[in-house]
This record gives sequence, structure tokens and C-alpha cells, in this order.
Amino acid sequence: MSGGAERQPALRIRDPRELAEIALQLRRKVIELVAPTGQGYVQQGLGAADLFAVLYFAELRLDPADPDWPARDRLLLSTAHNTAIFYATLAQRGLVPAAEIGDYCKDGSPFEVNASERVGTVIEATCGSLGQGLSVAIGMALAARRRGDASRIYVILGDGELQEGQVWEAALLAGSLGLDNLCLLIDDNRMQVEGHVDGVVKLEPIAGKFASFGWAQEVVDGHDIPGLLGALDRARAPSARPTCLVVRTLAGKGVPMLEGILAHNLKLPTDVATAAMAALSNAGDVP
Amino acid sequence: MTSMTPDTLTVQDFNQRGAATAPNRKFYGETLLELARQDPRIVCLTADLTLPTETDLFRDALPERFLQVGIAEANMIGIAGGMARSGEIPFVHSFCVFATRRCYDQIAMQVAYPRLNVKIVGVIPGLTTLLGVSHQAIDDIALMRALPNMTVIEPSCPAAVPAAVRAAAAHDGPVYLRLKRADGTEAALAPWERLLSIGKVRMVRPPGEGLLLACGMMVEQALRAADLLAAEGIAVGVVDVPTLKPLDPRIAAMAEGMRAVVTCENHSIIGGLGSAVAEQLMEAGVRTGFGRVGVRDVFAEGGTTPYLFARYGLDAAAIAQAYREARGRGSV
Repeated sequence: MSGGAERQPALRIRDPRELAEIALQLRRKVIELVAPTGQGYVQQGLGAADLFAVLYFAELRLDPADPDWPARDRLLLSTAHNTAIFYATLAQRGLVPAAEIGDYCKDGSPFEVNASERVGTVIEATCGSLGQGLSVAIGMALAARRRGDASRIYVILGDGELQEGQVWEAALLAGSLGLDNLCLLIDDNRMQVEGHVDGVVKLEPIAGKFASFGWAQEVVDGHDIPGLLGALDRARAPSARPTCLVVRTLAGKGVPMLEGILAHNLKLPTDVATAAMAALSNAGDVP
Repeated sequence: MTSMTPDTLTVQDFNQRGAATAPNRKFYGETLLELARQDPRIVCLTADLTLPTETDLFRDALPERFLQVGIAEANMIGIAGGMARSGEIPFVHSFCVFATRRCYDQIAMQVAYPRLNVKIVGVIPGLTTLLGVSHQAIDDIALMRALPNMTVIEPSCPAAVPAAVRAAAAHDGPVYLRLKRADGTEAALAPWERLLSIGKVRMVRPPGEGLLLACGMMVEQALRAADLLAAEGIAVGVVDVPTLKPLDPRIAAMAEGMRAVVTCENHSIIGGLGSAVAEQLMEAGVRTGFGRVGVRDVFAEGGTTPYLFARYGLDAAAIAQAYREARGRGSV
């Protein structure tokens, strides 16, 4: 570890209850952001809220006062459409102005449905054309290794995104290079535009595929916060292998009437948004 | 019996470096290495084509800054984007066709849109290979020219390559560099080949009644065509256009008053030099006889370069004929 690591002012919240409370706030924000226009990805956002809370409030070494800090950890959201949760998290963490994300999806706002670097360098690469994020992450991991700093590179891919061939070019190379500063998180919600992934192109065993490509891998419950913390700890340990965490998430998690509905582009009529917000407000004590 | 080593057994065309004919110099490889020694940010990526792209020199001298990605061009472009975002200056290498068409969306999103300092270097331009249609890049200039933020450079001959590489490296932003490796058949060096300014053409033969505008190896063909026309009493100038984008805005003024202008490119007549010049002349209101020499909206086949150039109308005779026809359409 180089000196850069000591400077890190990250919050490093390790209390699962505190992280669960943050995730609940993020879920409310997802509804709040999407409700005015009905635009945005609700199911994915609710499903990934626990993962985003753990990544941004426990794991990533970032400096909100200096978002360009060269030795920062990097997170790339290859599924760049999942922005309601992404922007909500960035705002909560102080990485983008909370007041500005209210313009989400409005004409002229940098907070577009697909995250682009118009927002700033906190969007580490403009993805959205699926399949590209892992390659960019490899480039960043190699550069960090060459610089000799402690930067770790995290990249979130969707499970459906694994159907893109470029992912496997990248997976093959990352395994071959033994990039242990690279952590791939697969947001495994079994959902793509045309419905359940198994109805389009079957993906399982995802973890087994990465194992055969030379990766360390684990399947994790995406709503088990202690489980996520533990898996990320193990991924950080030196291993001479990149890590793939297959994070099993439930679309619509936290709003009972939405849970499990595989609607990639979910409409959010006002009455549904109101009911969803009520459900999240009544969630009360989280375990 | 010939000793059996990979070098002696490699098909000559693949590396286009016949020991008997090609000079020993690696015009591209030597220049890249020289620049990399001066600038520690420069890194080198290749997709299983180290020797054909002359990056073996870099690999051997600076292995810690060299990355072999395997046969995976889309991945290579994405990796280069990540490296550039981390402060490095990646030079990525493949054949022209695979460095552009095969990974077009990756270039658009991970290089051009973010205006990153990535240099895409291709070899085997147009109809210069036995390998056939799969390896012939006849639309790479058009593709790269259509991308916002992209600069497109094609030097006229091996001697012009070092200047092109230096210009690409000095430019802050994405560049596509279209190269033809030396095979020993090139015409002798000319002094103007040692300079290259992005966005500037060079008059390499003074204008007469008309102009031939050419890029890459077609400059040599255009000079030969000018000789053929001179023998008939028709004096034409030759302009080397090493930067396809940005296109020198002075071309319109150079064409003004000319009886005819003919563009010459080892590329499709759609979307490349001919299209770019036509766009500028029309928007400037220049009236002149106009013709385009290039691959005429067809796929070609594998073959030797002289055969293909004759067969697809890219040689000096075809340029001279195109000029005669264009001057017939121009006003006297």
C-alpha cells in the first residue's frame, strides 16, 4: 500500500443497521426522483439499493472534497441506465449536489437517464452501450498497478449484459493478467428488456463461468448487508486474481407490491409512486 | 535446407516486409519507441499483431508499458479508454479494418465522445493485401471521419510516417493513424515528407490548369499520373492531404479557378477524401470539373497491390483518365 491510502477520508460505515437505514433512504429517493416524470429505472434501483449503500458508504475510498483524487477507488456503472439509485447515492455521499439531481431526466440537465460524464468525473466512464465497462475497468486497474498506488477498481455489470461478447474478451484477459485490484459486481436481478434472462439467453452458472476464466468468485445475497461486507473484504485480500461477486438482487426490493416484477422499463404512475413511498416510509425499523 | 524458425516461415505478405525488398527500418516502430522514451505516459497495446504493427521494438524495450490483449479489438479499445482516463497515452494497434470497423461503437463511446488521448494505429490500408476482403479497409477513413473529436491522419509514404506519428502524439485528443508499412517499392524520399501539420495540405507539385488531391500511397500514384498528363501537354498540380480530418479549409481556395480537381484515395469513394473535398467545394461555391478516384462502392479481393490497383482503378493510369474526364466537365 502506498501513502495514498492513509489520506482516505472515506466513511467506512461497518454497522449493518446504519447501512440498511441508508439503503432505505436511497430507495425513497429512487421513487422521489422517478415519480415526477415517470422516467427512470425503478425496479433496478430498488433492487440495487443495498449494494450501492455498501459500496459508497463502506467500501470505496473517495474524497467528496476532491472527487479527482488520483488514488481514489473507482466505480464504473456499466449498466449506466440504473441512474435513479446511482444519482441518489452520489448525492447522499456528497459527490454531486443534492439539489441538482432533482432535475433528473429533465431537458438540459446533466443528470440524464443514462449516466454520462456531463455530470463530472464522478462518472468514471460513459457506459450505457452495454458490455464496455469491464474493459475500461481493466485499463484503469492496469494503470493503477503501473502507478503503484492502492486504487481499487469496481465495476457493476448487469446479468443480462453478460450476453455481450466483449464482456468475455475482458473477463478472459483480466483472469490472465491476475488483476487483483479489480472487482466485478454482477447485479444479478434476472431481468432484461424482454423479461427474465432465462427466457432470452440462459446465463447460469455465472460464477462457474468466471471461475473457469481464472477469477475468484462468490454468489452473494444482494440484500444481506453483512454478507456483502464480508465478500468485499475477501475480494480486497491479495490473491493475484480478480474477483467477481454475483450479487443476487430482487427487482423492486423494499416495496412489496413491486417486488419480483421483472419490468425493465417500469412506468411509475402517481398512485403507484405514492403507494411505494408509503410502503418505504412504513418500513420503519430495518433489521 | 532452410532453418525452421518462425521468422523464416512467416508468409511475407502477412508482415509485408520482404527481407529482399524492404528496408530494415521500422519507420513507425522506431518513432513510437523514441517518443515513448521521451514521454513516460505513452503505453502500447496490440491485439496479436505485434510484429506486423512494428511494436516489437516497444515490447522489447519497454515491456512494463506494453500490453498484449490477444485477439480482442473491442476490449483493447475499452482498456485504452481506461488507461487514458488514468493519465496514460495509449497507442493501440491492429490492421486498419479491425482497429476501426470491428470496434466502432467502442471507439465512439470510450475514445471519441470523452475526447481521450488515445491513438488508434492501423496498418494495411485499402487494397494492399493478399488476405482479401476481410482484411481490406475501404471504409475506415469514412468511419473515423464521422466521429466527433476524431483526427484522421494518413501519411503519404514510409518516410512521412515519423512526422505523422509525432504529430499524432503531440495532438491532445483521439487520432486515427492510417499506415502503410514499407515494402521497398516506394519512390525515393522527398524533402516535404519530413513535415506534417495536422489540418494542413502540402503542394508537392505546382498547380497547372488543374489539381490532383491525394492521401497516403495515392500521392505517389498522383505524381505519376501528373507525369502522364504532362506528356500530353496537360499540367496539373499534386496536393498531399495527410490530414483527412480536420480537412484543410484552404482547399477551396486552391481549387478556385482550376479547370478540374480529382481526388485520389486508397479507400471507398464514399465518405473519404473525395467526399470531404466535395463537401468543402460545394459549401464554398467552387465550380470546377470534379472527379473521385477510389474503390467504386464495391468489395474487392485479395491480390498484389499493383494488380488490385489496376483492377479497381486506383493506379496512375486510372487517375490520369479520371482527370481527362473531369476536365471535360469543367469550364475552360
